Amino acid sequence: MNLANMRAAQDNATNALNSIWERNHAAQNDWLRNRQTSALESFNQQGFPNKHLEDWRYTDLRELAEHYPLWLENSDTARLDSASTDIPQTLDISDATRIVFINGVFRPELSDALPDGLFAGSTEELAIAHPKLVQQHWGRLASDADSGMVSLNSAFANASVALTVADGAQLTKPIYVQFAGTLENSITHPRLFVDLGENSTAELIEHYSSSASCIVNAVTEISCGENAHLKYYKLQEEHPSGWHTAVQYIHAARNSNIKTAHIDLGARLSRNDLKISLQGESAHVDSDGVFIADGQRHVESRITVNHMAPHTTSRERFRSILADNARGVFNGRIYVDECAQKTNAQLSNRNLLLSPGAEINTKPELEIYADDVKCAHGSTTGQLDTNALFYLLSRGIPEKNARDLLIMAFASELVTELEIGSVSEKIQQALRRLGTSLGATN
Amino acid sequence: MLLEIENLHVSVNNTAIIKGLNLSIGAGEVHAIMGPNGSGKSTLAQTLVGRDDYNITSGSIHYENKDISDMEADERARAGMFLSFQYPIEIPGVTNVYLLKAALNARRKALGKPEIDAVEFMRFVKEKAALMEIDQKFLSRGVNEGFSGGEKKRNEIFQMAVLEPTLAILDETDSGLDIDALKVVANGVNQQRSPERAFLLITHYQRLLDYIKPDFVHVLADGKIIRSGDKSLALELEEHGYDDVLRAAAG
Repeated sequence: MNLANMRAAQDNATNALNSIWERNHAAQNDWLRNRQTSALESFNQQGFPNKHLEDWRYTDLRELAEHYPLWLENSDTARLDSASTDIPQTLDISDATRIVFINGVFRPELSDALPDGLFAGSTEELAIAHPKLVQQHWGRLASDADSGMVSLNSAFANASVALTVADGAQLTKPIYVQFAGTLENSITHPRLFVDLGENSTAELIEHYSSSASCIVNAVTEISCGENAHLKYYKLQEEHPSGWHTAVQYIHAARNSNIKTAHIDLGARLSRNDLKISLQGESAHVDSDGVFIADGQRHVESRITVNHMAPHTTSRERFRSILADNARGVFNGRIYVDECAQKTNAQLSNRNLLLSPGAEINTKPELEIYADDVKCAHGSTTGQLDTNALFYLLSRGIPEKNARDLLIMAFASELVTELEIGSVSEKIQQALRRLGTSLGATN
Repeated sequence: MLLEIENLHVSVNNTAIIKGLNLSIGAGEVHAIMGPNGSGKSTLAQTLVGRDDYNITSGSIHYENKDISDMEADERARAGMFLSFQYPIEIPGVTNVYLLKAALNARRKALGKPEIDAVEFMRFVKEKAALMEIDQKFLSRGVNEGFSGGEKKRNEIFQMAVLEPTLAILDETDSGLDIDALKVVANGVNQQRSPERAFLLITHYQRLLDYIKPDFVHVLADGKIIRSGDKSLALELEEHGYDDVLRAAAG
């Protein structure tokens, strides 16, 4: 596609999206409709993200212009209602509150009873049922100006989850939110916000899976009050012909303690952007990420940690395993504000390339304005260690198993610490599939 | 013969290292190969277990009367060959116990036996660990991860004890060991001696042979065995060094 055609395609898509919104998505609720209108305006200005934007250098989404209007039109109520409710993948998490959305529609009949403080449903329902809450939190951390994808989410958000945890409350059960896609060529716009009060505890798991080609464009906003404890996990295993883009904004107040893990196993193209801001003194975050891709797939994982107060600490560990002609992108950025003395930040990224055609673009960045800090970053990229492989072979372990073992070992440091139901097993399965696909091409 | 090497020539990166080596090892025998640095001892060990960048340019290796030149390293191991590495590899993320179980079951499968029962396996492994004075907590650590040089060598012999090979090749297992560790290693080897199992000890020093008594001693120099004898040959080498033997062979 040449430049003029591409521009025309973008303009056509923008026009189409505006008229689809008008016809099918304009909210009845005044506040929400105004919100949607300004989000659409923001999208009209930004368009789909393209490689000329610094943050999107390796993941150009202009190709979505071709699909977005059609697939959005396709996601109408009648089709959504008749779509299959067979959930492609489920995590076995004992004692969780399970919330199920299928193609963006909340399914109470497949979900557990909602505890106090948890809402799940359409955005319109949320805006009507909890106007104060939604007006206070929706878009408090996320800005439509951040990207065309965030503005599209704000304009079309259909699947909403809102969790508020009162001061001092401990959520004993993890909240497990499943977004399952079963309708071919459809789009889901999940929008989540979480507000943790002071001294509260919560665990949230977002799980995306699809059995048909879908687009998922998600935004999550999380505020942690003073001394709050949050565990946040995201598992993405979309259909191999789907697109998945997501961004999470997390703000951490004084003494809050956050643990996150992101696992990306699916989609033809996926991009996750995790933005953490340690706003209060002594706030701490541990972030892990594992992304795995094969075939022609493209996966980008980004993390930004802003240290905005003294004595804040963070540790980021991201691992990628790429096979065939897969392309990975990692961008890790640590920002230390002038006032954030005694910051301690450790960022590590390791990448394993299993085939000559696999590629990773990795960019760890430190931007430090305080003078009394401890910051380190490191990145390594390599292949399977042939000496280790020979050692395993020399013990009689067949080559396929030996490779699997070494691939597994590469991510094991992170995986063994993931105590989220059956997620470790899922990662191991994905790694075994990788090993198998390599066996076939060797 | 368990192992029959005839006129073996091996090149590594197009450099000839083994140049016409002959060696026969019968079941139950213990052979020691000694020789100066660079004589080809480790190359022989790596070639026997099937390292693929070691090219056999001529000659043959028969193991259990079968030409093994086309067998991959893992097949050879499942057929009962074992190498105790001179420099054991660290593999973080793969636990010792996992490696042992996978290796043992691969060997059992090749022998037509079912997978070992988990309880039976742990009992067996703990017994062998005790023999090699290996702390049980090592079992759940990564393979050789953070082990000292001596611990790595003991771990090799421990693996050998678990896998019960038919032909065990020990590549300088004695190097870097203090006398106590050497005794533990030698004891592990001696416990494994049986009429069915053969050993090929590759060593630089006669010291190991004080503890593991070989049936045959060979001197390897410049890729060939230049002299063979019984264990008195090792003592002779200890006393006079390699020079006399080398000179005699050259003369």
